[in-house]
Amino acid sequence: MAYKPQYCPGQTQIAENRRKQLDPDHKLEKIRDVTDKDVVLVMGHRAPGSAYKSAHPPLAEQQEPACPIRKLVTPTDGAKAGDRVRYIQFTDSMYNAPCQPYQRSWLEAYRFRGIDPGTLSGRQIIECRERDLEKYAKELINTELFDAALTGIRGCTVHGHSLRLDENGMMFDMLQRFVMDKKSGMIKYVKDQVGVPLDSEVKVGKPMDAKWLKAHTTMFHSLVGTGFRDDAEYVEYIQRIHALRVKYGFMPKEA
Amino acid sequence: MTEATFPQCRIVTERLLNPETTEHLLNKLTEIPGIRRMVLNGPRLPVTVTYGPAKGMANPHSMRKPIHVGDQEVELQVHVGTVILELESRDVIPALKTACEQVFTHFTFRIQEGKFMKTEPSLVDYCKYGPDADKSILGLADPSSKSKPIIIQGIK
Repeated sequence: MAYKPQYCPGQTQIAENRRKQLDPDHKLEKIRDVTDKDVVLVMGHRAPGSAYKSAHPPLAEQQEPACPIRKLVTPTDGAKAGDRVRYIQFTDSMYNAPCQPYQRSWLEAYRFRGIDPGTLSGRQIIECRERDLEKYAKELINTELFDAALTGIRGCTVHGHSLRLDENGMMFDMLQRFVMDKKSGMIKYVKDQVGVPLDSEVKVGKPMDAKWLKAHTTMFHSLVGTGFRDDAEYVEYIQRIHALRVKYGFMPKEA
Repeated sequence: MTEATFPQCRIVTERLLNPETTEHLLNKLTEIPGIRRMVLNGPRLPVTVTYGPAKGMANPHSMRKPIHVGDQEVELQVHVGTVILELESRDVIPALKTACEQVFTHFTFRIQEGKFMKTEPSLVDYCKYGPDADKSILGLADPSSKSKPIIIQGIK
């Protein structure tokens, strides 16, 4: 029988959502349509339509050393063209955001190539070649991994993950990069990810409702969603890992 | 000589408060006799971007605006999340609860009793205010900042 990865343990909806997001064969549901130009605007690395800046000549134009690994690995489009490395960073609210930092790095490792994810408690950064990044960022924003109110695109001053939401149900942002249009209920970015005001607003759609968020979140939260202790299998798994690590810490020699 | 100790309590809401809600709440609180001191707590909303490539640029934020409390204008510097109060006696708490119930109609809140404000000068307070610090301003403002407490005329 062919090996079938399990991705992660758990019996709750949260665990099921995590498995879906991690499985590269599962197509992520597309729920908004932010254009290429808008993604470039929000990231703020280059002006839309301008040429990609490069860090080195295209691979085809430079002498490559004889290396078996280079023969095995097909370079990504960005690497082929010699693009510079750029980033996008997300902050996810604890209040049932659809994704969370550890999950992001994990799923990106399954789904994307040529990336360098950085995982922190409340934010997650992904670095890669610029044209690859734009492609990946578009997928991260347009699919079920993103919620307009509870996920923030924030290059710096990211605080908000663990704070209470504001009265409009939006995650705190010290730089208020995204605001809600009170009439339409639409959320629009008015600053790029580092807080520089945008010339034109970028609309990212309406926030998802509480029911959708509770059904699609990958974060345990005992007050607003599913508590971690409600998932016996997950608790057992974490306790086993914890016990093994502690025991190994006391007896670091192999039998 | 025994020093008087005053009860303290903290209003914690389910959501961070909009300036309009904060204004509404504080105006309700000013109608209650027996509140000695009050601190608005929450994450800071700086006037300029403090970090990153946009450092120094203006930081317009809809949650930072002046509000009118009693006869004073208060410039909000934080996105209000908790209100800490020092009371003259515990008898004031039911009135606080009634005021909060009138304001927080869309989300929950709780009033906690405890000790939330500084009552003795810290080293930084000593450096800033010297040995004879006025205890009524301790814990109301960050000693390293230039902001000063705002005095609102009570009704007592």
